[in-house]
Amino acid sequence: MLLHYAHIIGLALARFGPCLLVAVSGEHGEQHEGGDHGGEHGGGTHLPNLISMVFGYDSVWNDWVNVFFAFVVAIFFTICATTVYRRRRMIPGPFQNFMEMLVEGMYNFIYSILGKETKKYLPFLGTLFFYILAMNWLGMVPFGHSPSTSLTITASLSIMVFLYAQYTGIRRLGALGYLHHFAGSPRDVIGWCMVPLMFPLHIIAELAKPFSLALRLFGNITGEDTLIAVFIMLGISILAFSPVGVPLQVPFYFLGLLLSTIQALVFTLLSTIYILLMLPHEEYEH
Amino acid sequence: MDYQSALGLAAPLAVGIAAIGSGLGIGRAVGSAMEAIGRQPEAAGKIQTAMIIGAAFIEALTIYVFIVFILASGKIG
Repeated sequence: MLLHYAHIIGLALARFGPCLLVAVSGEHGEQHEGGDHGGEHGGGTHLPNLISMVFGYDSVWNDWVNVFFAFVVAIFFTICATTVYRRRRMIPGPFQNFMEMLVEGMYNFIYSILGKETKKYLPFLGTLFFYILAMNWLGMVPFGHSPSTSLTITASLSIMVFLYAQYTGIRRLGALGYLHHFAGSPRDVIGWCMVPLMFPLHIIAELAKPFSLALRLFGNITGEDTLIAVFIMLGISILAFSPVGVPLQVPFYFLGLLLSTIQALVFTLLSTIYILLMLPHEEYEH
Repeated sequence: MDYQSALGLAAPLAVGIAAIGSGLGIGRAVGSAMEAIGRQPEAAGKIQTAMIIGAAFIEALTIYVFIVFILASGKIG
């Protein structure tokens, strides 16, 4: 409840200050961007966030919004993790207990896919999950902004997963085993005859993975945040004569919480599976 | 009809058509998963994981259309 009132207050403030203009970027973007379209945010409504409230919408600092909030998330998790790790005890306090619960839940989830390989890949995949989850949820925090509404951020995450999967493949299968895997793991004559067909197919499939990861996360979170923003604007324009609005967006907060979690989960799950596919095949058939 | 009105008509329509397809697909996937869980409740975890992966692949198609819509909506003006 506090959440949406803060949003409303933010928007109400934004309505009165000329420099804190609420961007309806369709009109706004065209006014000062001219014909050159930024690319990432083609259209849609954006809520005011911390950077645009402090510096104003025309400031250069707006280019750094996504990076800023991504860093906020990263620093938050670093502080949480180091605090718990420095003061870890045999009998955990409430905070340590909570963190252990998160890590253990993540471990069990990944264990169901990777099996005994889990420990090696848990740090990367678990971090990925919580990082993406926090970034997605940041769009619903007052004066916050989801960095995952930027294709740059999601693309960098998915390229990282792609490179890590390839590295895992070369490391675990060996250079020849890696090529053998790309040739469709041929075992008999028919398999070797299919190699010219399978090789480009596998390479295209491998290259398509980071694209689909990045676009899925970007599209889902952008859609969800735009939905919330549009309903806030609607709620405000209903009572345009007064400084308050109708909280029409509240049901979509719950939808947003659910969808953000599912998208973070799907990203992690697919990364896990891409890594699993690169592991030696005999080991994971359990 | 100039290209802007053509885009203005076609872009939302494309999202709608894509949503019909994914709706049918996800409906089938989730329906079958529920059936499977009803038949074998002890395998619920594995079925759910597989279902979420499948649903993600299905709805990714709508998301691609949505991204095309975002790109096109900049040109409608």
